[in-house]
Amino acid sequence: MMLARVADSLYWIGRYIERAEHMARLSDVMLNATLDRTEAAYEVAQIAIAAVGEPDPSKAANPYQAALALALDREDAGSITSSLAKARENARQVRDQITTETWERLNLLYLRLTGPNADKAFADGSSTFLHEAIADLHLFKGAADATMSHGEGWRFLLLGVYLERAQLIGRLLEVCFGDARRGPITDHFALTSLLRMSCALEPYLRVYTADIQPRFIQEFLLLDEEFPRSIRFCTSRIEEHLSSLTRHMDVPGQVGPERLAGRLKARLQYADMDELEASGVSAFLSSILDECAAIHRGLYETFVAYPLELRLPA
Amino acid sequence: MDMRDEAGVALSVGPEQVAGEARIMEPAVAPYDEMITPGQDVRPHYAALANRLSTLGAQELSERQRTLERFFLLQGITFTVYGGESSTERIIPTDLLPRIIPSDEWTKIERGLTQRLRALNMFLADIYGDQQILMDGVVPRELVLQAPSYRREMQHLFVPHQAFANVCGSDLIRQPDGSFAVLEDNLRVPSGVSYMLANREASKRVFPGTFRGAGVRSIDRYPDLLLATLKSMAADWRPDPQVVVLTPGVYNSAYFEHAYLARLMGAPLVEGRDLVVHDNRVYMRTTTGLRRVDVIYRRVDDDFIDPLTFRRDSGLGAAGLFNAYRAGAVVICNAPGTGVADDKAVYAYVPEIIRYYLGEDAILPNIETFLCRDPSQLSYVLANLDKLVVKAVGASGGYGMLVGPHSTQAQREEFADALKADPANYIAQPTIQLSTAPCLVDQTIEPRHVDLRPFILCGDKITVTPGALTRVALRKGSLVVNSSQGGGSKDTWVLDDAGELRP
Repeated sequence: MMLARVADSLYWIGRYIERAEHMARLSDVMLNATLDRTEAAYEVAQIAIAAVGEPDPSKAANPYQAALALALDREDAGSITSSLAKARENARQVRDQITTETWERLNLLYLRLTGPNADKAFADGSSTFLHEAIADLHLFKGAADATMSHGEGWRFLLLGVYLERAQLIGRLLEVCFGDARRGPITDHFALTSLLRMSCALEPYLRVYTADIQPRFIQEFLLLDEEFPRSIRFCTSRIEEHLSSLTRHMDVPGQVGPERLAGRLKARLQYADMDELEASGVSAFLSSILDECAAIHRGLYETFVAYPLELRLPA
Repeated sequence: MDMRDEAGVALSVGPEQVAGEARIMEPAVAPYDEMITPGQDVRPHYAALANRLSTLGAQELSERQRTLERFFLLQGITFTVYGGESSTERIIPTDLLPRIIPSDEWTKIERGLTQRLRALNMFLADIYGDQQILMDGVVPRELVLQAPSYRREMQHLFVPHQAFANVCGSDLIRQPDGSFAVLEDNLRVPSGVSYMLANREASKRVFPGTFRGAGVRSIDRYPDLLLATLKSMAADWRPDPQVVVLTPGVYNSAYFEHAYLARLMGAPLVEGRDLVVHDNRVYMRTTTGLRRVDVIYRRVDDDFIDPLTFRRDSGLGAAGLFNAYRAGAVVICNAPGTGVADDKAVYAYVPEIIRYYLGEDAILPNIETFLCRDPSQLSYVLANLDKLVVKAVGASGGYGMLVGPHSTQAQREEFADALKADPANYIAQPTIQLSTAPCLVDQTIEPRHVDLRPFILCGDKITVTPGALTRVALRKGSLVVNSSQGGGSKDTWVLDDAGELRP
């Protein structure tokens, strides 16, 4: 049992944290890749720019400026700093619900990124800067895992993390393999960079060795059971947390988001890569993204913004 | 949005707390120094700290000051200053040198505060009940009933244990002769207790050795005593009462304190929008449906708790809350309407209120207050306008006030006319000299003026936490301790009996 508003805030902390981490990683990979002035490097920049939701593809021509804006621009609602500011503001609102250890990690990172030295630190070493931001976010998740009770609040936090992650990875795959793209990516360097953007290079190599193929990448990021950034892994966590949360509900009968999450999990669990390729990965991806959005809505209708008439004591 | 639970600024100062202005005087006599005797000796209870300080260089001291500030920043113990487009977060200025109170002085403070709060709660029960004290003419009837803080809605309401004010933060000052006096009682929604607790955390880090040696009484139990006090207010037939803390929200300057107390008590921190009143019962919206609420520790002003009963434009409370309170289905702490007992004019009657209900003399004196409604006191005030501070009873925020020593002849004449026209509306007090305590200012230790705000809890019994918030006027010579005016705070060590004897 916890306040609906608190659950909402914890959920959004999870989402913003994950978003900030993903954006930091995309910028980092983009900046690293574009140290080479090759056609492939430009392609990587284009993927990154499209994956962060930037409508103007010409931004890829100046990756440093794009990364700087993505990191520190307070005006841009999608920037790392904005995401962290929103995560922290939510954390401030539920300060009584999260542990001091967890709060300190987030607060410290926020103070560093919004402090007077942030611009200089980025200019001095953008890669170090982004690396440290990612490391701090890992510390936050670690502190949350190690110090928060693994109860309802923690589950809402993780629901936010995994839903956001599933949607971000889905979006990245859509950019690379969706119908909107003229042709599939074949360049080895671009494919490696894609794996780096999903933090998947090393785990991928252990499964498929250095044989880097678009089909394997799709299979790994969509259907791998154990890799924490595969969409299958995310949906299985979402299902797990949701079914645990609905167990406490005093409303009888099956509720919305749990059913959706279970179905989505099963779809990914029993999917077959050959069939997917035959019917088109793009359509599959967009249906997954739609279902993630539906789970998000269902979550709100069930736990946060439910109609009072149904819950008043008789 | 005008949402002020207790303070325009985080540390203190509600609309009622304008007494700060009275402290802007030149010293007539030398102030009492907390550490040094007039003969330039260190007082015994400060000896250990003085020894420690003599071994620390300016560099080390400012290093420790930075440690302290970092601790506050990291904990998010900040208040937000909103201005234009950007908002900045600042920490409350905190001084690292503790203020030390020996045990015998504390014993007297504790007895005095207990006595005072007991009498004030009896007074509140009386004026919202049979009004015996008004019948007997001890306190003028119109003074109480016409006060804007008197809530007619509270008349003849059952309040458990007759504990109207459950949390009280009184402002004490030390006069030049070394004795403590009460400057004002805060019975509405007093704040600052989180700074008392946070300052203690910080000073343990800064002076661990001295702290251990001094025998400082622990204040750690404040949160669970507060919770026990709140639970004691719930109806007997609710065996495990649900206590919540009601905050105006994250934009309130004292939000940190609300969250801090909620966290340490393990109680949900709710906003008005989390509460639903149905059938005279109060519920909070949780993830698993509606849950019944029994006790609300509200940090929202009377005016804002229920738009159906009080201010209609309030979005900070819950509609129907007061009716549920009337019906006895929920307890609001502090009770609405307690503010009338810390009214400026009622303040002058507190010694008589204590005598009336308890048959005792006040252990802690008031600051001498002249009530201009009394003709002989009026003539004294008129004869000494250049030495006194004259305040209008109903006004706050420094309006309708004459600061005698700083006034011109014309202002005094104007005020004299006003006094004669409506004497009942004015009180006068002598200029007040606060004591000083050592503070670290620009790497050197200098005396600064301080006051003392202890916190008293009252449910089925009265408890005084052995600690306090010491507010500091960090500007040299200033007597204003309010955080809006360059005031800060410092930790307050109350020593136990054996404290001074330990090595």
